[in-house]
Amino acid sequence: MKVEIVTRRDGQDAIVTYDYQLRSEDEKPMVLDVLLQAQATEIPDLAYRYGCRARNCGVCTVDVNDKPRVACRARARDGDRISPMATLPALSDLVVRRDGVARQMRGRLANAGQGNDLNVEAPDDYHALTACIECYACLNNCPMHARNFDGGLPGDMPAGTAPDPAAGYRWGNPFSLLKLQRIRIDPLTSDAGKAAALDHAVELGLDACVGCKGCKCGVGIDLMGKVVRDMVTAASDRQPADTKAD
Amino acid sequence: MTIETEWRDYDVVVVGSGGAGSHAAQAAAQAGARVLIVSKDPIGCSDTKISEGLATVRESGSDDDSEELLSENLRMAGGDLPVTALTDAFAQDSKDAYDRYRVQGLRPAIDTKNNTPKSLPLPMGGHTRRRSVGHRNSGIAFSHANWNGVIQDSRIDYLEDCWFLDVITAEENSQKRVVGGLIYDAARGKLVAVRAPSVVIAAGGLSTLYFPKTDTMRGNTGDSYAVAARGGADLVDMEQVQFLPFCVASPPSFEGLLIGEPVTASFLGVLRDKNGKVILDGVYLRTRAECSAAIMRTVEDGRGSPNGGAYLDMTANRLHPLSGPYFMRFLASALPSAYKVARQALGRAAADCDEAWEVRPSAHYMMGGIRTDANGASVAGEGDGSMVGGITGLFASGQAMGGLFGANRLGSTSLTEGAVFGARSGQAAAKLAREATTQIEDGIEDGAFSDSIAATRQRFGQSGKLAASALKRDLQRESWDNIGPVRTLERISRMDALLDGLEASLDDVAIPDYAEWNQAFIEFEELRNLVTTARAVAAASRERDGSIGGHVRLDCGEISAFSHPYSTVVSKPANDAWQVRRVMRPRTPVKQIAAYKVKENWRKAQVKFLRALPAGMQDRRLEKKYKAIMGDAGAAPEVTPGGVDAAIGEGTKA
Repeated sequence: MKVEIVTRRDGQDAIVTYDYQLRSEDEKPMVLDVLLQAQATEIPDLAYRYGCRARNCGVCTVDVNDKPRVACRARARDGDRISPMATLPALSDLVVRRDGVARQMRGRLANAGQGNDLNVEAPDDYHALTACIECYACLNNCPMHARNFDGGLPGDMPAGTAPDPAAGYRWGNPFSLLKLQRIRIDPLTSDAGKAAALDHAVELGLDACVGCKGCKCGVGIDLMGKVVRDMVTAASDRQPADTKAD
Repeated sequence: MTIETEWRDYDVVVVGSGGAGSHAAQAAAQAGARVLIVSKDPIGCSDTKISEGLATVRESGSDDDSEELLSENLRMAGGDLPVTALTDAFAQDSKDAYDRYRVQGLRPAIDTKNNTPKSLPLPMGGHTRRRSVGHRNSGIAFSHANWNGVIQDSRIDYLEDCWFLDVITAEENSQKRVVGGLIYDAARGKLVAVRAPSVVIAAGGLSTLYFPKTDTMRGNTGDSYAVAARGGADLVDMEQVQFLPFCVASPPSFEGLLIGEPVTASFLGVLRDKNGKVILDGVYLRTRAECSAAIMRTVEDGRGSPNGGAYLDMTANRLHPLSGPYFMRFLASALPSAYKVARQALGRAAADCDEAWEVRPSAHYMMGGIRTDANGASVAGEGDGSMVGGITGLFASGQAMGGLFGANRLGSTSLTEGAVFGARSGQAAAKLAREATTQIEDGIEDGAFSDSIAATRQRFGQSGKLAASALKRDLQRESWDNIGPVRTLERISRMDALLDGLEASLDDVAIPDYAEWNQAFIEFEELRNLVTTARAVAAASRERDGSIGGHVRLDCGEISAFSHPYSTVVSKPANDAWQVRRVMRPRTPVKQIAAYKVKENWRKAQVKFLRALPAGMQDRRLEKKYKAIMGDAGAAPEVTPGGVDAAIGEGTKA
């Protein structure tokens, strides 16, 4: 089985064709198996992230034929092209820099705080959101996230113009909205906290969701139904002038 | 090209961002410290995140639970190796620690009658009270809370994609003290030298030493133990690696993941060799070590399965017309995540128990680790140790610390452990920084740091013929064979010789000189840590001259419950060989041990009787038993992987 692996060393990109050796006739390897074998044979210092190999830790996401996939549970097929997630800046081979996303949430996650009665149950939708493994597959085709890169991808930006991830990205994405929606539906969040969470969503560019046909979650969370639609509705009810769909 | 060094100053540096690290950072920040948290994986992506999501919360299930009981349960499970001060601290803090997860958004089901988190309906094995709380989305729910705690708190600085290379110490009146640490920031392509009086190591386990025979995170390269050992700290119980016997041997994509526990083999499950001969019966009453030993012995005799394991045959459970359907429901509900993996990995016929499962042990948890007091501070000396002779300013928590679990860990304790000792070590680290009488003197970068920085810089651009990733694979294979679930003195010696060779090879590893995300350098550093950690495991294994806990010494007998318990302590003085010694532990009163022994024998007699019954009678009796276990709900109470309830044979071990 032949696959293409996009590698990047010291700023130089190259495409390596790797011939995966099936370990049994009926083996149906995952993309991660291919990367492990490539590292064990031809590319000893291949850079890629992985963790639990069971689709729980969320770190092994790569693009397979330009679509984000969790590598440990994505079947590899002959002719596949494996490249770093295009939605975040590439560091080395298949490793992208992830921390610009989390950093934009600093100070935006005000929680229940001390002194509350913690013995309160959360609604089902709350638990639907904590299923998120932070794989960042949802950044794909997100117009809000693309605003960070002049509407395109980090790789398209002229050298030296890309935003510094260490400062946190200016514009949000489905993951950051999910985190805020989680706060909004937490029974322990005060009304002021709920309002603040919505404010943060608007600041992060919630208006980009208006008219967007939707985002896709790497582990099957209904992002439109459980996150985006409710926030857009709440924001437009509250701020008709700014964010209402026309 | 020379990689540049950035200098920073903090009160507390925390290494690792899972349960322990995030709680340490939060506690230190709350105590007013300037905190830096350093993580090589993205924030919160740890063993906590991929765990089963069960937490021990004292008094969550019954009014008559107490600190004394919980503390005693921990020591009994750990074969009397645990340090009482640590089990007491765990028992004292478990409720508050759990609430700190809740403050950050963890939301369990609530028992509205008692206004407590709802615990599982039955006490988990080894726990004499109900006190284990389960969560939707398992460990992922905890990781959201840990992530929130770090990201939200503007008093905490954090760096991910950063490898903590070494703790830097200075000597003062013949007492070693921390002056900071050196970090490789792969994302920014820099070394970061941090001046800080306190360092909390909370960077998890060592199971990657046995990869792919493990069900834990890739990043478990023993960093915590290696960094502490190089700094001169004592490590305790380093031979105590917990192996789970029933994990996937093939296909490779699922290799190492958990598919069952002794208890899920149920009443008629047996282990067979490749010829179909029974190598262990009554599996459900056995300890994990017994199951692992049976499998590994068979492999050595050349009667193992194609992928170095044996066959777990549960077909007899299923074939009974009355009790068979109950068994299938039991299997699917007792350990649902593992059963799901079995179905995906082994296929339908196996999942239906029409055929036997190929199984092989996997490394799951490190019970040993950095030797600390109840506040996570590095200790040395005799008995439970004292801070004199330890390293002032060095702290550890979570899987990185040793002495809490000894030879076995009760189910649902590790997530609580992270929060309890994370917070304790964070507070203590902040206090030490605040009260430090001697400031870290100006110009220390020329002294204590300079050797480490120079040595690290030299590695960038090192010419050589070897690849660290290839050496890593050699080490992993050899570790499995020699210091894995079965060990002998001869193998431990073989391991030491191999490690001599690997240590010498480190200078012949090729590392290019570019600074940004240099994977070869990362592989090299992790290899270095794995080698150091393997040394510690080998040294402690040599001293542990008998079988206790998660592994078996083929050349020694079981350690008697009546013998005097001891822990192993290893350390590596600079420019000297590893040192090993024993510290004695108090023994559980003989009366208690005897009571457990009687229970164990009674169980074993029952299973003999059951197996001798004619098929029809056996079937009816089993049907009754399943009904009793599963009740009206028709589902088994869930067990935790690694918990004593999942290997009830271990509940009877004193």
